[in-house]
Amino acid sequence: MNRSLFSAALLATVLGITAVGCTGGGETGKEKTGDPAPTAPAGGTTAVRPEPTGEGVKAEGDTIKIGIVGSLSGDQKPWGEDSIEGGKMAVEEFNAAGGVDGKKVELLVGDSASKAEQAKSAAEKLISEGVIGIVGEVASGHTIQIAKSAFQKAIPVVAIGATKTTLADEGTNVTRVCYTDDFQGPVMAKFAFDELGLRKVGVMTDNQQPYSQGLSKSFSDTFKKLGGEIVGEAFYESGQTQFNGQITELSAKKPDGLFLSGYFTEVGPIAQQVRQAGMKDVKLLGGDGWDSPQLLVSGGDAIIGSYFCNHYNNREDRPEVKQFLEVWKKAHGGKEPGTTMAALGYDATKLMLDGLKRAASLDSKALIAAINETENFPGVSGKITLKGANGNPKKRALVVEVRSEKDGFQVFQKAYEADEVK
Amino acid sequence: MAGLELSTLPQQLVNGILLGSIYALIALGYTMVYGVLKLINFAHGEVFMIGAYAALFASWGLGYTPNNAMSGSNPINLLIMLLASMTLCGLLGVLIERFAYRPMRNQPRIASLITAIGVSLLLQYGGQLFLPSSPAPNIDAKVNPYQDNITIPLRPVDGTLVTAAKQLEAKQLETKAAFDAYLTRTKESPFQLSVAGQPLKKAAQDAERDLRTAEGKAEASGLSIRLPKGQMIMLVTTVVLMALLNFLVMHTKPGRAMRAASHDFDAASLMGINVNSTITFTFLIGSALAGAGAMMNATFLSGTKIDTFFGMLPGVKAFVAAVLGGIGNIPGAVLGGILMGLAETLVVWAGYDSYRDAIAFIVLIIVLLFKPGGLLGSNKVEKV
Repeated sequence: MNRSLFSAALLATVLGITAVGCTGGGETGKEKTGDPAPTAPAGGTTAVRPEPTGEGVKAEGDTIKIGIVGSLSGDQKPWGEDSIEGGKMAVEEFNAAGGVDGKKVELLVGDSASKAEQAKSAAEKLISEGVIGIVGEVASGHTIQIAKSAFQKAIPVVAIGATKTTLADEGTNVTRVCYTDDFQGPVMAKFAFDELGLRKVGVMTDNQQPYSQGLSKSFSDTFKKLGGEIVGEAFYESGQTQFNGQITELSAKKPDGLFLSGYFTEVGPIAQQVRQAGMKDVKLLGGDGWDSPQLLVSGGDAIIGSYFCNHYNNREDRPEVKQFLEVWKKAHGGKEPGTTMAALGYDATKLMLDGLKRAASLDSKALIAAINETENFPGVSGKITLKGANGNPKKRALVVEVRSEKDGFQVFQKAYEADEVK
Repeated sequence: MAGLELSTLPQQLVNGILLGSIYALIALGYTMVYGVLKLINFAHGEVFMIGAYAALFASWGLGYTPNNAMSGSNPINLLIMLLASMTLCGLLGVLIERFAYRPMRNQPRIASLITAIGVSLLLQYGGQLFLPSSPAPNIDAKVNPYQDNITIPLRPVDGTLVTAAKQLEAKQLETKAAFDAYLTRTKESPFQLSVAGQPLKKAAQDAERDLRTAEGKAEASGLSIRLPKGQMIMLVTTVVLMALLNFLVMHTKPGRAMRAASHDFDAASLMGINVNSTITFTFLIGSALAGAGAMMNATFLSGTKIDTFFGMLPGVKAFVAAVLGGIGNIPGAVLGGILMGLAETLVVWAGYDSYRDAIAFIVLIIVLLFKPGGLLGSNKVEKV
């Protein structure tokens, strides 16, 4: 991330006007596919997804190789570690239950190091090692790179936490186990408008993350449709540490809430600086990018009492959640997973393994078909159906409130079903 | 993009100067080393990064560990952190000079430059082996006792609007109390209300919104600037350190040695000046100043995350600031730093948030086109 910051800074001198011109307005070319489909149901687009034309990869040897990509270093390490641990857990269970056709699954791990270009090379390394499917990634910007590499070889990709709306349009090989930004954005807009009674909201977007850009847009669209007003928009880049300029501009617009669509790494300092700038009563809201206990460390008292959208909650009563937590705790010294990416990593891997069982043959093309036929898969994060879903399952979203570590960090407040928000 | 909002301009100027003071502190280190050795010390940003870590460890040592921080603090803690940071950075600067630059001193200048880049990369990536960097830690906000602001009114607020807002307060308190009482009585969650609770919630929210809108209007009728105490301390410390530096360079013996070495390296050594110790001293002071900047940046801008790339962008910008002011020129570095901070903040003020980092380089190119020696530098053309 930081290397790209540096090169971006250098590039900007040369390409300054063009580079910034296309991101400055919060509208990138990539957003277009999501835009002209107002009738599309919440949860993905209706675009026709291209079929990968490659021959596919056959599973050879005594084991079936599956890859998983996550950040084992850098800012997103909490997510990477959790999702990979979840993936390993799913594979262990699968192998313990006998594998498929007498073959065991071997899980190969790739490190994306919190950088999109590293995610791409990690995926390519896994492909060269003969994997027939890739699980990952958590970040949308990373997953797009993985998806592009996998598309050429007709290898399936099951994304863990990548919520960018247009992601699955990359090809039929791309699916995910999480909801999309055109669902969680509207969920937070509805929550802000109906439940918190907010009417004037400012938005802060991380211009380096496609995830953040998409989420800000879907939040703003719905919030305006509900009758609210977006009083101001400010932009920053991942890695920035001081936000006084942007906060001063937003503060002058007197918002009653701020929507921070970026990742927890910047949201923490933003929250502190917002409070220091005198916006004491302004409610802070965000998406699943907030999901890490690290948020409490960098956000301090300033972030307590804010709300964000998440995939599931450890306190849920469903048997899948209880069973998952029991096994997880046994393997991790009695500790619950810190982020929901553990459960999503587990779900994504398990879903791919489930596809393996149903696949007509043990090759990547049959696996793509099997994964796209998934129906009512009992995931920890809820039931997942990919059949006829264009790669985007209908999931529910939970709005949680941020509390101190001692009070359990995330306290469940309200659930929204997939059809509840349009 | 948004039109220009004149009411926020004074505040943004303050923000810019405060930001610029950090750049100025780092820029001083670049400029001092360049002045004496004609070497661009690319590892300077990494010294800044180590300074932030030193402050972090000092704060942990004082008991402000994540999630478990003591509450309340005092200025002594900040002073300890500042000294820890300055000392460690000073030492590191000396070590870098002794082991990386001194062996290269009689080689072509490009060799030193590449060594500098090497040291920079070594600290960035080598640091990841033993410094906590992912997830990136930050100094706990509780260590900073100066969280509040000094507000300076420029134009008084409209009294009638304030009274109007005050009148709405009673209703807000009353409706909120009614809703809270309902919640306590029924033990319902405010987000899963039964039908009976809905109107109470709506009333409370409407009253609060009316109050906040009125308050906002009252506030907007006046004009004031907000000076965050922590960042004001940062500015004052910067000014004091600069004054000390200026005194040191202009009025003391080591300072005279430094100027002599800067003027003519060989002649100075022929005149009996111990050039080696002068250079060591230069690195010691320059690096300690970067340490001070790092500690204040990481402490007073709460929540600032620290990783091994922490010094990269500030380092680049401070370098630009040094060149902008005229590299080798001490007041120039300060002027350049402040100008950089202002330029960056004013770009955000004008609504072009994404140009923030690019502006540093645009300004640099423009200045170098018209004044190659920098704003306060000499226009002497150097023969290469």
